[in-house]
Amino acid sequence: MKIGLFLLLPLMLFANEEVVIKVARMHCPMCTTAVKKALKSVDGVQNAKVTLETKLAVVVAKDGIEDKIYLDAVKTTGYEGVMVSRKHLKE
Amino acid sequence: MQRRTFMKGCVALGASSVILPQVSILEASEPKSKTRIFFVKNSYNLKHENKNGLTKLWVPLPQETSYQKVSDFKFSSNATSAYVTDKNAYKARTLYAEWKNGGEKVLEVTYTITTNERNADLSKATASTKYPKDVAHYLKPTAHIPTSGKVKELALKITAEAKTPLDKAKAIYAWVTENMYRDNAVVGCGVGDAGKAIEQNIMGGKCTDISSVFVALMRSVGIPAREIFGIRLGSSRYSKACGSSDENGLAKITGGEHCRAEFYLDGAGWVPCDPADVAKVILTEKMTLNDPLIKEVREYFFGNWEMNWMGYNTARDFVLAPTPAQKPLNMFGYPYGEVEDEVLDYYAPAAFTYSFVSQEKL
Repeated sequence: MKIGLFLLLPLMLFANEEVVIKVARMHCPMCTTAVKKALKSVDGVQNAKVTLETKLAVVVAKDGIEDKIYLDAVKTTGYEGVMVSRKHLKE
Repeated sequence: MQRRTFMKGCVALGASSVILPQVSILEASEPKSKTRIFFVKNSYNLKHENKNGLTKLWVPLPQETSYQKVSDFKFSSNATSAYVTDKNAYKARTLYAEWKNGGEKVLEVTYTITTNERNADLSKATASTKYPKDVAHYLKPTAHIPTSGKVKELALKITAEAKTPLDKAKAIYAWVTENMYRDNAVVGCGVGDAGKAIEQNIMGGKCTDISSVFVALMRSVGIPAREIFGIRLGSSRYSKACGSSDENGLAKITGGEHCRAEFYLDGAGWVPCDPADVAKVILTEKMTLNDPLIKEVREYFFGNWEMNWMGYNTARDFVLAPTPAQKPLNMFGYPYGEVEDEVLDYYAPAAFTYSFVSQEKL
């Protein structure tokens, strides 16, 4: 059991997840650029796609970044974000 | 470096079957006066950090009306494809260019625009509120122009004593020019979120902010109204705040985008006004509503447009054609570009990059 966990540890440390955040007050294309830039500045974020039509930001990042860190990053743009979902990505 | 073939285009904007003329009969009845002629050049050289893939650019073009006519329209570019279209809900004239590969991405657009000062004859206005279908469209709310809730509440309060549509328009114009002020800290022309401005009592803003509040209040009391997004072209007889050029008539107009407003009165047609420039002259000239110049400007900009400016379109909260990655677009007063689906900062011409110049024929 312990050996198994030890073998899985590197995978767990470097696993990724997809985080979806709703930014309901985004109102123009430039808002998506600002939100994307803010989220990509978070340490551990690999990619962020922000869509005005759905008002959603989809972030791919290393596992375990707290909700607050994402939401604080969104807040720097003047908007409030709400966590929608988090899911682990398969390796 | 990849060599591209330059494409050139030449479209008679007023005559093309692709582009529908937007002149209404009532606009056409305005007297022709104070004609001015400007040669305009737009230059683009698109850049975006490390991205160099599929690049798309939508350039707003001047509308064809009784008070502004476009001639000698030409463009040249190394784009993979480029064409003029107005296939969007507002028929906003657009030059679309697309580059499929990396390398330099350049576009130059030139045209001559002849303008005539607009002076509405308000004595012809009637009290009728029966509007043609194309005019009634400008009674509808949009995402940034709500016509219910606190916006309507305020509009009804402002116009409580007014009886005719003209009286209501005067009351709303007076309220906006008394209560709103120009805030130079706002980026670009402002977002123009009339609902937020009124709900949160944000009275400072720039031209789109002030014009959008005016338009929302007007629509809320049943008067068709719209913003017109455009750009300043040359000197103003009132103040450098409203436009300037050098002694030879040359004006560097990059960043000179300006949003004006219009409202519709039966009998008088579309009436030009510009509450935002009243606020801009007050700030620039360090004056108050009681100064003679401000009194003159305030009176003039209710029913008149000095045509040292040209209008692009009246589009708000709409989708460009061809459809961009991000939609809808709040307003189309600036060029809009995407590189690999990332939006170029249209408020930063030096980074985008684009530059505009206007040479007036003196």
